[in-house]
Amino acid sequence: MRISKQLIALFLLPASALYFFFFLVPTFSAFRYSLYDWRGFGTDMNFVGIQNYVELFSDRLFWLSMGNTVTILLAGGVIIFGLAFVMTMMISSGIRGRKLFRAIIFLPNVIAIIALTTLWGYIYTPQFGLLGAFLGKIGLTQWAAFPWLGPDTIFWSMLVAIIWIEVGFYLVLLLAGVDKIPEDFYEAARLDGASQFQMFRKITIPLLWDVLTIGMVLWSIHAIKIFEFPFSFTGLEPNVNSYTAAVYMYILGFGQRQPIYRLGYSTAIGVMLLLVVILVVLVLRRLMRREQLQY
Amino acid sequence: MFKTQKLVSFALLLVLVAVTLGPVAAQDKPVELVFWSMWNESEGQALVIQQWIDEFEAAHPNVTINAVWNGRQNQTLVRTALAGGTVIDIVDQDADQIAGGLMQEGFGLPLNAYLDMPALDEDVPLRDVFLPGTLELFAMDGETYLLPYIYNTVQFWYDKRVFEEVGIEVPLTWDEFLANNDKLREAGYAPIAAEGNEPGYSTFYLANMIARLKGPGFLLQTVEDHTGEMWRDPAYLESSRMLRELWDRGDIPAVTVGYVWPQGQNTLAFGQAAQSLVGSWLPIELSLQVDPGWVWGGFNFPAVEGGEGSVADTQALLLAFMIVKDTAHPDEAAEFLRFIMTKENQQLMADQALVGVTRIGVPWSEAITDAEEAAMNAESVFPDVDGVYARYPEFLTTVLWINYADLWQGKITPEEFSEHMATQSAEYWASQE
Repeated sequence: MRISKQLIALFLLPASALYFFFFLVPTFSAFRYSLYDWRGFGTDMNFVGIQNYVELFSDRLFWLSMGNTVTILLAGGVIIFGLAFVMTMMISSGIRGRKLFRAIIFLPNVIAIIALTTLWGYIYTPQFGLLGAFLGKIGLTQWAAFPWLGPDTIFWSMLVAIIWIEVGFYLVLLLAGVDKIPEDFYEAARLDGASQFQMFRKITIPLLWDVLTIGMVLWSIHAIKIFEFPFSFTGLEPNVNSYTAAVYMYILGFGQRQPIYRLGYSTAIGVMLLLVVILVVLVLRRLMRREQLQY
Repeated sequence: MFKTQKLVSFALLLVLVAVTLGPVAAQDKPVELVFWSMWNESEGQALVIQQWIDEFEAAHPNVTINAVWNGRQNQTLVRTALAGGTVIDIVDQDADQIAGGLMQEGFGLPLNAYLDMPALDEDVPLRDVFLPGTLELFAMDGETYLLPYIYNTVQFWYDKRVFEEVGIEVPLTWDEFLANNDKLREAGYAPIAAEGNEPGYSTFYLANMIARLKGPGFLLQTVEDHTGEMWRDPAYLESSRMLRELWDRGDIPAVTVGYVWPQGQNTLAFGQAAQSLVGSWLPIELSLQVDPGWVWGGFNFPAVEGGEGSVADTQALLLAFMIVKDTAHPDEAAEFLRFIMTKENQQLMADQALVGVTRIGVPWSEAITDAEEAAMNAESVFPDVDGVYARYPEFLTTVLWINYADLWQGKITPEEFSEHMATQSAEYWASQE
């Protein structure tokens, strides 16, 4: 049966309309607002052209926050996917309690971010925090009262917590991919005398490639616009060393604490983030392009 | 002649009827006020405000007040809503925030005329019932736009039993303060609990120290100096050294550098530390953590020898109502604000929400009586970061806090702080021109 083009268009219309009004229109509006000096109060907008973008280039806080964002993207990404792979191999190796392990590792993803930030705040609290108590118990007393949330370490402490939260999601993603690989492939490899590592490299990785690509794209998008955890983890007034680009954008534009309300400038940061997301996704898809394997 | 008399009589009768029925007709005209609030519906302050609304509506049957409980994001939501044409008559928020936002953008209704009217059921003008300095704190060009209703003082908070145990008195001078800290340290207490990695809280120290050395208003003047040269004033070097000394002496434990809210204040609640410079909301915030016998005391930031400021200069963090200038019902909105300032209604807030209020002669809850005393006896009051928070929030966030955090955490010296502030202020203001 041939479906007419009109009918296809008709079915596509609702989704296209939603996409147009709730994504494309706001995106183009954001670009327009980024060309104004505007606090968001009323309609008194002062057109400044690309001045907001010019200012971004000399804004050291913007670059500091972008640096943090890129560190989360790259360092966080490598560790998250590394851990997710290791755990995937361990869990899919036939151990007992596979579902339980998967559920436990995924658990942080279903807990409210504010609860997780409170938990990690108490883990890192010097003197009576969980980490300090543990280090004290194993004899590392000099580390028991270490200020993990001090200016030099707060970012890395935050990154550890982010990795702990995120790894479960990508583990589930990879596990689902591994489950789809026919067991016959591994049995044949074993008969041919392949080692675990060889099976991982020659079977698992190639057949997981599409899942891995999707996972990396999802992580990139998430990491570039990461906001909730850094904002609520770092206290009432986030320390500048823990700023991500999205946090900086929020602080400048939304006046949650300080009534800065530079909505035009803040929108320019948002537009930059969108461009970075597009760029990173394009590069990733290019790098990860492989011949498609059917099985 | 007779006809004229009849006409005049009829006209007089009409006037009489109009005069008699007029107010009734006006009163009966339904009025709906929309109030967007910074509180969440279940918070103590929101419950009291809702009670005010209910009682006001009962006393004014033609007026309905619809409250929208937005939480702390209120002003941001109001901004968007007003831009979208939503009708909002009254808003509330931290006074520093609303002064730097809606008020600065010209959304506030001038209140002077209403403040000159008598307070409800009293013979004094409404403005005379406010605690000293509160109405004037955010006045602009002689006009008042904000009506403060909750009063937080910034003071050192402590357990009086600890001071008794150690044998120390409330310090009035910096030297007495340091001497107390020596005794507290000897007794095994960390003298000061602080949020070491929280710029908002740690700036209380800088603002108060400069206020003691040069008087309230000097820090704001310094920020407004576009050349940045005022940051080279010796007072900044002196205050920076004195604040760093608190760390060097161990009055603030080194580990504090890693405390973000509420970790610092928890050390006070757990009895490890003895004093914390913070708002008078602290006793309520820690009420579930401190032991039942805890006796709260609060004292102002000590005076500094030779300083131009007084120990009675008090940092006040207020919460305020603002009537939106485009309201269709300014008189009714102002009447509601007059209503909430009665002694009974202010007492309700003080008793049920356990916060300080802005009306004279209303006792605050027992835990914050020292805050009440400071508010009553304040020689002058100054807002958050001496007004920098409200007027120059971007400068505060992107220049002052960054350098001050470095000083506070020992990453730069007092000399470097003054130098960085001088050069970066000049750069900041140059970029704004």
